[in-house]
Amino acid sequence: MLNYAASRIVQTVIVLLVISFIAFLLVANIGDPLAALLSADATVTERMELIARLGLDQPIGTRFVHFLGNLLQGDFGLSYRTQDPVAKLIIERMPATIELAFVSLLITILVGVPAGIYCGVHPNSLFGRFIMLISTAGITLPNFVVGLLLIAVFSVQMGLLPSFGRGTVVDLGFWTTGLLSVSGWRAIILPAATLSTFQVAFIIRMLRTQLMEVGQSEHIRFARARGLSEARIWYVYAIKNTLLPVITMLGLQLGNIIAFSVVTENVFAWPGLGSLFLQSIQAADIPVIAIYLIFVGLVFMVINLVVELLYPLIDARVLRRQS
Amino acid sequence: MTAPLLDVRDLTVTINRDGRLITALDKVSFSVDPGEVLGIVGESGAGKSITGAAIIDLLVPPLKRTGGTIALAGERLDQLAPKAMRRVRGDRIGFIFQDPMTSLNPVITIGRQLCDTIEAHLKISGDGAKKKALEWIERVGLPNPDVQFKRYPHQLSGGMRQRIVIALALCANPALVIADEPTTALDVSVQAHILQLMRDLHRESKTSMMLITHDLGVIAKMADRVAVLYAGRVAEISPVNELFNAPKHPYTHGLIRATPMPSVNGEVRLDQIPGAMPGLGAVPPGCAFNPRCFKAEGDCCSAVPPLTIRESVAFSCFHPLEKEIA
Repeated sequence: MLNYAASRIVQTVIVLLVISFIAFLLVANIGDPLAALLSADATVTERMELIARLGLDQPIGTRFVHFLGNLLQGDFGLSYRTQDPVAKLIIERMPATIELAFVSLLITILVGVPAGIYCGVHPNSLFGRFIMLISTAGITLPNFVVGLLLIAVFSVQMGLLPSFGRGTVVDLGFWTTGLLSVSGWRAIILPAATLSTFQVAFIIRMLRTQLMEVGQSEHIRFARARGLSEARIWYVYAIKNTLLPVITMLGLQLGNIIAFSVVTENVFAWPGLGSLFLQSIQAADIPVIAIYLIFVGLVFMVINLVVELLYPLIDARVLRRQS
Repeated sequence: MTAPLLDVRDLTVTINRDGRLITALDKVSFSVDPGEVLGIVGESGAGKSITGAAIIDLLVPPLKRTGGTIALAGERLDQLAPKAMRRVRGDRIGFIFQDPMTSLNPVITIGRQLCDTIEAHLKISGDGAKKKALEWIERVGLPNPDVQFKRYPHQLSGGMRQRIVIALALCANPALVIADEPTTALDVSVQAHILQLMRDLHRESKTSMMLITHDLGVIAKMADRVAVLYAGRVAEISPVNELFNAPKHPYTHGLIRATPMPSVNGEVRLDQIPGAMPGLGAVPPGCAFNPRCFKAEGDCCSAVPPLTIRESVAFSCFHPLEKEIA
């Protein structure tokens, strides 16, 4: 187990280094800081001095080490667009996105998992077929359409829920949360529901397929032949065999929501990372884009790491495949 | 004469293939006495496993039981509601599965699987169930029960897993055990150990057993009586000595001769039955064996021979072999 954990962590660090290097190349090669910083009539000497000061005459390896050192000290560089530190921009926006992602994950787990289990255990029931029909819509409808539909129904027609913003946020010093106020919760429902539509539909279909497959296996037949109750057979013996792919998908989806909820955030004017990313791309704000890239990599790698560390707890065979 | 523990009459199983009903098991009748081992032999596809699964109502769709009666100690199993049937499974009828590699749940420990089964049938739980589970692990011959209790199936060898499968089938003390090819998936040396274990357990517990196998060697070693199935029908039911020394049905005769056996002068004799067993839905009219039978006559092709009982032997053949032929 210790070996397994260590090897997963080393892999994570290596991938993060590679991502940082790509991000560094982006900053180092796109745009020309000299043109921006030097006046038009600068002399060759002034030019050489600036190059030396910025360290641009150093070999690329040295510059990358320097870049990494800065990252580790929390120095993420300055945004071209706002002249603010990139770290500040990201930290401002992060809570909104993370809260949105977790609420939508919560919806996915609370709605998708029970519905998926129901469809897997009773694939031919009327209600099961009905869920499958609905979930087809969830898979096919693009996010922004779902968002617009929800706004049209719940905000415009019924006037129940707000269609934009985070509502009242409470500043905890290191984190601004919308989850401590009623208006914050009201505001998060529609965007979270929008984001979770696809996830719910996806998890339902995956759980159903997995359960139907496991339900056919010999060990489930043997469990029946031993007279175990149907409840125990499905909810313990079968479910445990489907958990590995399910938590893998949930993890990947969580990463996806945190990193790429651009469209949904735009539809709901949600002040999160997605809209920051969009603005940065429009302004060719390379430092922000680069750091965002590293951040996305970090999110995916950490989630993946957590998921992989959970594997052996569910299926001990994972450890055997290692050795 | 004692009343049989299990009495199966005219058991019929059909398969619905695109609306066409195909008979997989055609009016199979046999019985198992208390404490007796009944061997069920036949080629692959003869309906051996289907017979076993039909008794505990675990047929895999589209297979479906469509006729006949099954009685366990006088109680009609074929009329039980699913819930009552669940209580029969594991509790009064244990089932040993064929392949230990696939029949244990890979993500649940051996101990948990045993305890769950014990708790489902016996009125004990927690520590009592665990104690019982440890006893069974020891009883089926695994060393260090405490260690095995916490292990997952993948940490055990095939033979060890099959011992656990046997423990799982027997741990609620069923009156009847159905063993479906319990040694087929194992190495030859492991097979011998497992057979020995089953014999020992059978001797200790006096449980009745239905031993499904295609291996006449296993039958010779284990069974008291043997039912030979051919194309979903009973060809012959005889005490094991009668079967090997004086088979009545030409198919039984052929089956025995097709088993490699060294003769007195050391040569290995092997006579195969010409042709192949008809597949599902392709059974010829009359006796299913008639196209391959050296004794077949006109009547064999026109009518299905009924099961004829003569003393301890029953056979379905119009022209049974006489003693001298074997």
